[in-house]
Amino acid sequence: MSDITSASSAIGNLQPKARLAISPLLTFAVVFALGALILAAFSEYIVPYDPVDSSFIPNMPPPALGDIPSLLWGTLTGTAAEPIHWFGTDSSGFDVFSRVLCAPRIDLSIALASNFLAMLIGIPFGLVAGYFRNPLTELMMRVSDVLQSFPVFISAMILVALGGQSIANVIVALSLLYAPIYVRLTRSEVMAQKSKGMVEASRALGQSELMIAMKHVLPNSMGPSLVQSSVTIGFAILLTAGLSFVGAGVRPPNPEWGLMISTGANDIVLGQWWTSVFPGIAISLTVFAFAVIGDALEQRYNR
Amino acid sequence: MIRKFILKRLAIGALQMLGLTLAVFFLVRMLPADPVSRLVGLNASPEAYAQAQRSLGLDKPVVTQLLEYLGLGSGPGLLQGNLGTSWLTNASVVSEIGASLPTTLELLTYSFVVTLLIAIPVGVASASNPGKFVDKAVFVYGLFGGSQPEFWWGLLFVLIFFAQLNVAPAPLGMIDPLLIPPPRVTGFYTLDAVIAGDFRALIDIFHHLMLPILTMVFVLSGPVIKMARQSMIRAQASDFILYANAAGLRQSQVTRYSMRAAIAPTITLVGILYGVMLGGAVLVESVYSLGGIGQYAVRSVLAFDYPSIQGIVLVITAISLLIYLALDILYAVIDPRVVYS
Repeated sequence: MSDITSASSAIGNLQPKARLAISPLLTFAVVFALGALILAAFSEYIVPYDPVDSSFIPNMPPPALGDIPSLLWGTLTGTAAEPIHWFGTDSSGFDVFSRVLCAPRIDLSIALASNFLAMLIGIPFGLVAGYFRNPLTELMMRVSDVLQSFPVFISAMILVALGGQSIANVIVALSLLYAPIYVRLTRSEVMAQKSKGMVEASRALGQSELMIAMKHVLPNSMGPSLVQSSVTIGFAILLTAGLSFVGAGVRPPNPEWGLMISTGANDIVLGQWWTSVFPGIAISLTVFAFAVIGDALEQRYNR
Repeated sequence: MIRKFILKRLAIGALQMLGLTLAVFFLVRMLPADPVSRLVGLNASPEAYAQAQRSLGLDKPVVTQLLEYLGLGSGPGLLQGNLGTSWLTNASVVSEIGASLPTTLELLTYSFVVTLLIAIPVGVASASNPGKFVDKAVFVYGLFGGSQPEFWWGLLFVLIFFAQLNVAPAPLGMIDPLLIPPPRVTGFYTLDAVIAGDFRALIDIFHHLMLPILTMVFVLSGPVIKMARQSMIRAQASDFILYANAAGLRQSQVTRYSMRAAIAPTITLVGILYGVMLGGAVLVESVYSLGGIGQYAVRSVLAFDYPSIQGIVLVITAISLLIYLALDILYAVIDPRVVYS
């Protein structure tokens, strides 16, 4: 690939010719991810009940399938006496529907923030390690190797449980665990870009090495990291939920999907399915949507 | 050649383990957790607190603690194969890991064998019918399976197969509590049952492992099928397959050649996933209360039990590094085009 085409591929999304192939699956994924983002921002204006209000009758099942059309009609026309518990209530008396819709505020914030922080740490390190090859940067890579050989889930548990089980700590823990991925991706891309003609041309024009690295090499080396970020966001949602599930993550009564599944886990054996099934469907589809978007970006980038 | 390669890798691995040991040791001590008050409670008197601190060895300087942990101070340590004593149970960490690790290895090994048995034929079928229904379905499943909350699927399987259909046992461990478990020889439940000749127990253990394995296979086969499909497509497009076709070899033989080249990367992925899942099986173990090393890790982390935490991280990482080395050696055996350097 020549320098011109590779440079244009970094801004390829702006070019009408280079659009992503739109499949129904990708359309679903984009719509779903956008929906989750909108919920993360505005859920409190949309949900019928306060997600941390536990004053309802506990263990109420969701309405029967046959009753849904009339209840929906009642809600839409405003004739219903009070909002319906669409997904029932859990054993503490929370409205499951409101909690499922409010959870993106926590789950997506953690995923987006930790991914952004990981890139903020990883990309500069990768740039330096790839552009300036010396004993110091080699040592940096060995440290990154050691960090990457940590078992991810157990390390996340250690960082969060011992650091204090707050949302901020989950973000920091995940960003530390994901940063080495971006170091690696950026470094190998920088090493490939470094040998290209544009670098030599800039050098001939008398630009400083730091300037070349920042202005020319860095923008052309971010592609793989941006592709990776969609996948990492999905994994961060899974990891956040998993941590809460074993009791080493966000604390109750926060509306968080993993926490809700964990509360519902004890009900499932009794056949009380709705407390954990609905938040599970939400995670399942959200992470799938990010995986589909990530795969589409990857195919686009590698073409 | 290969001996030099192995020795070099082992040396690097040993250095990596040393780095890891130091990293974990200082990490748990740097984080703002107070294991002493977790042990004696927040309302303990200052005397009781100080005494607990002394008995855990946390009153000594950190460097002394490190030297003792490594086995360079008084008493045996890491260099003598001693991982210390659990603060929670007072049992040796080595024995606790020895009791829980086999369960995880058992779950993972059966799960990966089933995954491979499904993934390779499906991946090959998908690669041989590009663009057809099988291929599209496999593509979607590959993305779906690899991005799922396995603990939720585990619960869903419990709901369906235990609570509704009643064909699976309650998610409460490896064996029916009313059965006498086979005497411990290897620590692996299924192996011990075979050694004891107790086939009733063996069947019951597999009955209990049925849903955990199903859950693991459900999430693992996504990425593995994807890899099998990609490697098969790549192998079919390579020069030696083109040559084999041009030379007029029978189709079945060409497929066999390309499968051989496609299996190597698939096995590598499985090995890497095996290493990842040693610590990542936590969630499935928790859903079914299997009592593997993952659940031991949860218990230790929540109790701020430093010696156990350190031991678990070291053992899991050491096993994954050994698996990666074994993979690199195996790779050349499966794919003769690979040369060590």
